[in-house]
Amino acid sequence: MGLLSILRKLKSTPDQEVRILLLGLDNGGKTTLLKQLASEDISHITPTQGFNIKSVQSQGFKLNVWDIGGQRKIRPYWRNYFENTDVLIYVIDSADRKRFEETGQELAELLDEEKLSGVPVLIFANKQDLLTAAPASEIAEGLNLHTIRDRIWQIQSCSALTGEGIQDGMNWVCKSVNSKKK
Amino acid sequence: MLVYIWQYVYTTFLRYWFKWLIRQATGTCELQRICSGYGPGASRTINTEYSLKSSKSKLLRGAVESSEEHLGQHVQQIMKEKNIKEQTNPRFKESLHTSLLQITGYESLYASVEDVRKEAFCPENTQHEAMLLELWELLMPSVTLESRVTKQWGDIGFQGDDPKTDFRGMGVLGLTNLLFFSEHYTQEARLVLSHANHPKLGYSYAIVGINLTEMAYSLLKSGALKAHFYNTVPGAPKLQHFHQLYCYLAFEFDKFWLAEEPESIMLFNQYRDKFHHVVRTLLENPRVSLTLSAPS
Repeated sequence: MGLLSILRKLKSTPDQEVRILLLGLDNGGKTTLLKQLASEDISHITPTQGFNIKSVQSQGFKLNVWDIGGQRKIRPYWRNYFENTDVLIYVIDSADRKRFEETGQELAELLDEEKLSGVPVLIFANKQDLLTAAPASEIAEGLNLHTIRDRIWQIQSCSALTGEGIQDGMNWVCKSVNSKKK
Repeated sequence: MLVYIWQYVYTTFLRYWFKWLIRQATGTCELQRICSGYGPGASRTINTEYSLKSSKSKLLRGAVESSEEHLGQHVQQIMKEKNIKEQTNPRFKESLHTSLLQITGYESLYASVEDVRKEAFCPENTQHEAMLLELWELLMPSVTLESRVTKQWGDIGFQGDDPKTDFRGMGVLGLTNLLFFSEHYTQEARLVLSHANHPKLGYSYAIVGINLTEMAYSLLKSGALKAHFYNTVPGAPKLQHFHQLYCYLAFEFDKFWLAEEPESIMLFNQYRDKFHHVVRTLLENPRVSLTLSAPS
């Protein structure tokens, strides 16, 4: 037996794979969040045409994160990525008050999707680094989150730019996957 | 591993002895051989750059970091140190000077591009606003913009009602490139836009353009554009040359996309990477010259 195969045997069982879908309106900060999760440089980000995908190791999981572009024109394609989703992360630009209604509508439509039924949802109230950002509580109220009964959900304020709040959100993600898989 | 050891031994000892031997045999130094061996272009400048940077002389190494106005002085000093007579080597001075202009020019071009990129698009800046409106007029001459914030921006491929949020990490550089293409290659830009608005094979013209600006920027940053600029600009490359390269990318990407017939816009990043690979391969050729060749 070669050294390599011994080493391979010593390595513990491969991490459990988790499929995470990252959605939200354009300019919400999905790609910045994705790059933060993967500890990559966030200073050269451009609008997402299509999607980005990255795999991140976290707490014994291999998180496969799908970041889908949010522009209105490509929202009809979102549904192509619903299948087998373990957790939905919905990103909101907390400072873009003019589009709260639009983002609320998109979220409501997602929660009505059959393929996403029962999928835990984490809402990131992003861009808290901006002075004009609405607090998470205000957003939760505006979106009527308390009426969600068919799944576990959580709202987390964060700043994808500074990284604040992201780890807390991801801890919730891992916890909800654990409780779901048990 | 062996390769690394060989490279280390070669660059620290052997290279020096080889150079010394050849110098004794031919009576010329490495720089002279480069300048007489190659015509103007990437091969000469890249070899000069390598020779200067790996030199044991502080003067030679310092030459590649000199500013444009001190280059003449630097060339004189190098000729003095290497004991190269102007009378017997009439071409040397000019060749070395041109190569040095290109080498130092590349670094200062990156600095200028970085300055424009770091400038965020700001709706309060009248110049930025004027550029944006001019972009619309050049691309859509027969359609008037109903208001500054409107869904119409989607017709030239911005994401929402207000383009200001689409420039992001590329800042004003993204806008300048889009505008330069429409200004200097108006027909080509409109042709590309018409392809981008194709119902089946279409893509978002402006934000794909911003993504291609990112491609041009990272190629520049990595040094991959050296051969291209050394071949196409006989001096220090300027911002306009960077914009020209963007025009090439925008025009060629459109051709590439149409030829590949992707299933949907969702596959953009996959084809972007494929296109990036094609461009990278072209850039490895020392004779590379990426200039927009429009159909007449």
